[in-house]
Amino acid sequence: MKRRTWLAAAAAATVGAVVGDASAAPAPPRRRSNELRLPFDHGQGRLLITHAKVHVGDGTVLDDASVHVVGSRIMAVGPGERVSAGDGAERVDLGGKWLVPGFIAAATPLGLVEIGAEDSTVDTERKDDKSIRAGYDAAVAVHADSSLIGVNAIDGVTSAAVTPVGGLVSGQVAWIDLAAGDHTGIVAKPRIAVHAHLGQTFGGSRAATLAQLSETLDDADFFDKRRAAYDRRQSRDLVAHPRDLEALVPVLRGQIPLVVEAHRASDLLALVDLAKDRGIRIVVVGATQGHAVADALAKASITAIVQPSENLPGNLDRLGARRDNAAKLHAAGVRVGIAVLDEAHNVRNVSQEAGIAIAHGLPRAAALSAVTHNLAIAYGMDADYGTITAGKVANLAAYDDDPFELKNVPTQVWIRGRTLSMRSRQTRLRDRYMDLSRFRDHDAGARR
Amino acid sequence: MRSRSRAWRRWALAAAATLAFVPGCKRQGRPSESPPTVAAPRPEPRPSTAGKGESAPMGAGVVLRGARVMTATGVIYPKADIWVVGDHIEAVGVSIKAKRNAEIVDVSGKTITPGIIDTHSHIGVYASPGLSAHADGNEMAGPTTAYARAEDGYWPQDPQVERARAGGVTTMQILPGSANLIGGRSVVVKTYPDARSVDDARFELAPAGLKMACGENPKRVYKDKGGPVTRMGNLATVRAEFQKAVEYRRSWKRYRDKLERWNSRPVDAAGDDGDKGPPDPPARDFALETLADVIEGKLLVHNHCYRADEMSLMMELANTYGFRIRSFHHAVEAYKIADRLAEHGAAASVWADWWGFKAEAYDGIRENAAMLSAAGARAIIHSDSAIGIQRLNQEAAKAMYAGRRAGIDISDDEALRWLTANPAWALGVDGTVGTIEAGKQADLVVWSGDPFSVYTKVERVYIEGEPVYDVAKAGEPESDFELGLIETAMPDRREARP
Repeated sequence: MKRRTWLAAAAAATVGAVVGDASAAPAPPRRRSNELRLPFDHGQGRLLITHAKVHVGDGTVLDDASVHVVGSRIMAVGPGERVSAGDGAERVDLGGKWLVPGFIAAATPLGLVEIGAEDSTVDTERKDDKSIRAGYDAAVAVHADSSLIGVNAIDGVTSAAVTPVGGLVSGQVAWIDLAAGDHTGIVAKPRIAVHAHLGQTFGGSRAATLAQLSETLDDADFFDKRRAAYDRRQSRDLVAHPRDLEALVPVLRGQIPLVVEAHRASDLLALVDLAKDRGIRIVVVGATQGHAVADALAKASITAIVQPSENLPGNLDRLGARRDNAAKLHAAGVRVGIAVLDEAHNVRNVSQEAGIAIAHGLPRAAALSAVTHNLAIAYGMDADYGTITAGKVANLAAYDDDPFELKNVPTQVWIRGRTLSMRSRQTRLRDRYMDLSRFRDHDAGARR
Repeated sequence: MRSRSRAWRRWALAAAATLAFVPGCKRQGRPSESPPTVAAPRPEPRPSTAGKGESAPMGAGVVLRGARVMTATGVIYPKADIWVVGDHIEAVGVSIKAKRNAEIVDVSGKTITPGIIDTHSHIGVYASPGLSAHADGNEMAGPTTAYARAEDGYWPQDPQVERARAGGVTTMQILPGSANLIGGRSVVVKTYPDARSVDDARFELAPAGLKMACGENPKRVYKDKGGPVTRMGNLATVRAEFQKAVEYRRSWKRYRDKLERWNSRPVDAAGDDGDKGPPDPPARDFALETLADVIEGKLLVHNHCYRADEMSLMMELANTYGFRIRSFHHAVEAYKIADRLAEHGAAASVWADWWGFKAEAYDGIRENAAMLSAAGARAIIHSDSAIGIQRLNQEAAKAMYAGRRAGIDISDDEALRWLTANPAWALGVDGTVGTIEAGKQADLVVWSGDPFSVYTKVERVYIEGEPVYDVAKAGEPESDFELGLIETAMPDRREARP
């Protein structure tokens, strides 16, 4: 249902969506003609944020800059005198405070889970006995009414790579913006990546797991080239269901990445080989021992998404876990992302994780990129996300200053150019119980 | 050296323990008698700590000079000295006069706090690596296992211990898990290095606690194993166990009365009912003895409980049996009954922001601790996590700033008390640790800066005056487990610590 809605919206967008009021502002950069508009690109609202210290997300900082937003897109970014919005735009003067790109939550089941232990509220996984579930499409299960969306959005998380779990190949990742309640448009783009897990996710052995992954990619290629034969039942047996193989074809063609959770150095090197041998795009998640094979990852242009606070040898794949993993990977030239892994409810703490990475040696600019730009690149979404750049989606967060300091949460968040109310189910609960005197108390009579 | 003073205390407490009738809490002190106002017993006069090596030359001690000192007593000195003699703080203040031959350590520019105390850890009983062989935290043999003791499952080689210490934690309560309604006795340990058994790590002055659990976990674990199946069953089972303990105490009282009559009978007279000899004691039951200790206030109850309504019911149950809940744990809905917690005198050990992983955790909010403080209840930030325990300062910071943003005036000192003085009280050791005051044990953390900044790191940790962690001197792994493994995985490990 939702998927159909998205497709319809996308089709409409290709026909005639126009961003903004072109007469009132400089034209946005030209987009490639074959590029689809995102389904929500229809708004006409205008916003001018002035006197911001703009941390673009790619390492550059613009002091006292203005950001002009039209609809859901950033129209222009630059010195105040060069960016105007015309009459009728909402104006926000940040008075020198910081404006950063909204954080991206990578590899999270956000939107697929409401209450972790309640299966009836969890759509993170296709629970079958098959290890290859690439056809499982997270996009159609994303729950726009989830309380987690608002809770994390007001703390600066504006997009998420919604990721299924389980099996060896878990399924397809959906890109969402944290637009709470937007049932038709919360999914910005479905099927942006396929997610997988190494380790012992098949056959009780990591060797079996790697062999199975390799065989699966072979069969995906085989199936792709012989679909007609398959339909005539003139095909050999396949390792997985054709729908699950079909979902891997864009990975084989290098159109979308294979995002793989892996921790042990040997698994990371196996992924380096996989990327090289098959010419596919690989992103690793976890990468606990990444520091030990950082040069190989860098050479293979593999992005590593790590969680800096994870420094325990929780299992033997994670011996040598260290908080400066991000710093070491970065120093070796690896593109580093930072995430709160195995987590949906508190992906907001990605800012704290970035702070921990900085405290353990990651340069500050690299840390901001690691929660914005680098993740957008990793998931192939950087044409639309990850930096405060004209033409990109206006997912923005204003802070008094350093967004990673524990004292700071955003003073204001914009998602797709819309001003967030900065309320969530949690702020509502807080406000309800701030004054306890209004509640019944069965003992009160006795005490009087 | 530490061993000397500890050996002395061990003797003193062992002597005291011979008088007690408690098999399960050898060498343990007593909790404060009537929460929340009475402090735990202070250590008796200490033996000389002369010759304590680098930290205390010949009794003159060490002066940590010029740091910002956050005492957790309501006082924050912008710049002060702490004089440590032996295992305790001799004095704290501005430009204090120490003995002339005291060693001076310049810590200007740093911040010193009391050692952090975590009321809720499973380090040692759920060790890392999480091998199946290491799962020693939940005795899931039945929903009530009051006879079980965390200390019997504690593995001092757990690599998580040294990481907790490197995060500034000097004391932690090791609890059985929450599968059971009554999980068993906790043990309070210090993060001493070089412990070869739990007794080497034990915080000897700390009374044991009793781990209890409400809600979803016991139901989930036992629903197909004979129950409890519902919250009704949870409460009914707990009530039945305490009722048994009441009757168990009664049978011992009858025995003691009988024994007294026997001892004071006229010569050659028979005992009660014409007995020819002294009465036989009742059969000892270590589970009921544990619960009897709770009723007598010798054990502190630590109750895993999330929901406001369940915490209210547990306080009622405790009132019925004449004990108090010392601290609720997790308590994500504590803010809804902060007034009742304050009135009962129950602390609440909470996370800064965990929520939603199960239904009873769905209403968690970051202002929980601040709203407890505002209502006059005792808030504690706990970890329940070997990762979280390494940055409890950051977790407290998140909770403090959330409170301030909501208009609750939480001072830095109050937030620090969430990590120090308040957990010390919950563990019954507030007379000994938890603040920087003369006479307290010198459990101290030297931070690189403001402990509520994400960028601040622990530079040094002292336990009982002894330097037990120094970021500049981190060497080979301390746990036997990582020795010879981690150097392979991490050849330049020195930089990597903590």
